[in-house]
Amino acid sequence: MDSMQHVPIILVALPMVFAAITILFRSKSGLQKALNIGVFAGLFVMSLSLLLDVWNNGIIVYEVGEWGKYGILLVADLLGASMVVLSSLISLMAMIYATDYMDRRALDTTFFPLFNLMAAGLNGIFLTGDIFNMFVFFEVLVLSSCGLIVLTGRGDHTKMADKLEAIFKYLILNMVSIILMLVAIASLYATVGTLNMADIAVKIAYLAETGTLPWHIHVIAMMLIVVFGYKAALFPLHFWLADVHPSAPAPIHAMLSGMVIKVGVYGILRVHYLIFHESMFMLQPVLILLSLVTIAVGATSAVGQYDLKRLLAYSSVSQIGYVLLGVGMGTAYALTAAMVYLVNHAIAKSMLFLATGETLYHAGTKDIRKMGGFVQSAPFLSVIFLIGAMSIAGLPPTGGFFAKLVLFDAGLGAEYYIPIGIALVFAIFTLFYLFRTWLSIFWGEVKEHDKEDAYKTRNPTIAIKISLALLACVVIFLGVYPEPLIVLSSTIAEQLLDPQPYIAAVLERSVR
Amino acid sequence: MNNTLLSVCIALLFAIGTFMILRRDMIKVAIGITVLSHATNLLIVSAGAFLGGRTPIITSEDPGSSSGIIFTDDLANGILAPIIPKGTEMVFVDPLVQALTLTAIVISLATTAFLLILCYRIYQEHGTTDVSEIRRLKG
Repeated sequence: MDSMQHVPIILVALPMVFAAITILFRSKSGLQKALNIGVFAGLFVMSLSLLLDVWNNGIIVYEVGEWGKYGILLVADLLGASMVVLSSLISLMAMIYATDYMDRRALDTTFFPLFNLMAAGLNGIFLTGDIFNMFVFFEVLVLSSCGLIVLTGRGDHTKMADKLEAIFKYLILNMVSIILMLVAIASLYATVGTLNMADIAVKIAYLAETGTLPWHIHVIAMMLIVVFGYKAALFPLHFWLADVHPSAPAPIHAMLSGMVIKVGVYGILRVHYLIFHESMFMLQPVLILLSLVTIAVGATSAVGQYDLKRLLAYSSVSQIGYVLLGVGMGTAYALTAAMVYLVNHAIAKSMLFLATGETLYHAGTKDIRKMGGFVQSAPFLSVIFLIGAMSIAGLPPTGGFFAKLVLFDAGLGAEYYIPIGIALVFAIFTLFYLFRTWLSIFWGEVKEHDKEDAYKTRNPTIAIKISLALLACVVIFLGVYPEPLIVLSSTIAEQLLDPQPYIAAVLERSVR
Repeated sequence: MNNTLLSVCIALLFAIGTFMILRRDMIKVAIGITVLSHATNLLIVSAGAFLGGRTPIITSEDPGSSSGIIFTDDLANGILAPIIPKGTEMVFVDPLVQALTLTAIVISLATTAFLLILCYRIYQEHGTTDVSEIRRLKG
């Protein structure tokens, strides 16, 4: 098991090294495609083995430079490891899809290096045990995704001017939130004198026990809720998402909506449940209220949209509300539900976005009203889109059904009747707008008869079909056999509510 | 006295930065972001600047050398510097915050460079630097 010990650092360092190496082979896109699919498949296998190892042998702590708790630690606990598995799965599929989807010009220039950096940023955020290091990986993630949004693919009908406008919004708002995070980290460091999250947790718990907890710890907790809520598109901070995400090409859209907004949820789960136990009593009602408003605003905005990508982006806003509702309720069962929902939504939504990119290419337009009758010309896409829509709307036999079932069950068990009632009403909204979209795209009459021949030439290639079919298999698998995911999520929830093993694993190290 | 002055200074910088990012001109927004990040850097440094603290730099005429502190490595005898004898109290300024500030400066350099290029490209595409006129994505 000795070689297993280095897996956390490899998961972060390998994509970073390849970000540099792929710049060297810029113009050989055939070699690049094979190399990068190989790397991402390797990352996926490694992350799976890491999760298995953590499941069997407990939390793995990797000391970068052997400085003990004074240096930067990579900590792979169950939450972090399963998020890494999720992000590796989605980035592998997005990478396979992108090799046939993206323009030749994008593939030959910046796509591969930036995509590798994005994967490194995601893995770094999920594995780091140091709060300042988390900030650094946030910046890596933001800058690389800004560069990726600007690239174009074949079903991408967004003009360059619109993309730049979207990136400007994304970058400015992200920098403001990052500055807020830095202020919070500096205040936290000035209070407790350490940046290691486990160490901070111990010190704050000690301060709370002796009754000398300074009041500004609560302010810091609120500032970090704002930062992570911004990342996750929580209600008053959700407005950028519908502009930014639809401007990205389909694989990047899938990564942004599938994984990058989940980073905010991960941040709340990690930082607030580990460090700010004492402030959660006043943050939980706020989180529940805001997530309900998020669900409502996202769902009602999606109903009024005719732009397919924008509609699904508002649907993401609404769905992230459900995840944060589970996080806000905060019982062990509700946290289980939040994790189940998060995994299901990440996989189903990224599949739906990849299918959407291909549908837009097939249709040659973004407007739902101009599409119709694609079930004849693109039967494969219609099945994939239907599976995705069923999972997001929460119908059996897909994973989304169990996600919603567990979440509502958890809410009723904790006696949150009114929030669950509101969430149920907007679940019906979700059902309505997704199936209206599916019907108007794939059912009905073919709208432009003279272009019917053009549809036949614009069909998915093998790589795109493979990635979509594999993701669809995962969605169906999570629906017919949800047991492993629910057991894993409930173990994660227990670990979140009782962080003692995490703290012990991090702090009981020999310091050089 | 210094700490009050420093706090007021940081607060003023935050105020100026917030005012600037609410302006309509893109370049002013970029300047506002820069001012905000400098204010944050100052805040981080001030988190480790205690009154009466000495700089964590070891010089040859360091007064500490008379108090039995070993500053040079002596690998033959297995001594890894610095070694501070038990009971000696050293009031150093925290060096970690300066490392953090350095990291934050480098990151804000990258983002500011990216932001300025982005402003230039937006000016090329839209023909204006007025943020309120760049609103094609609305709706």
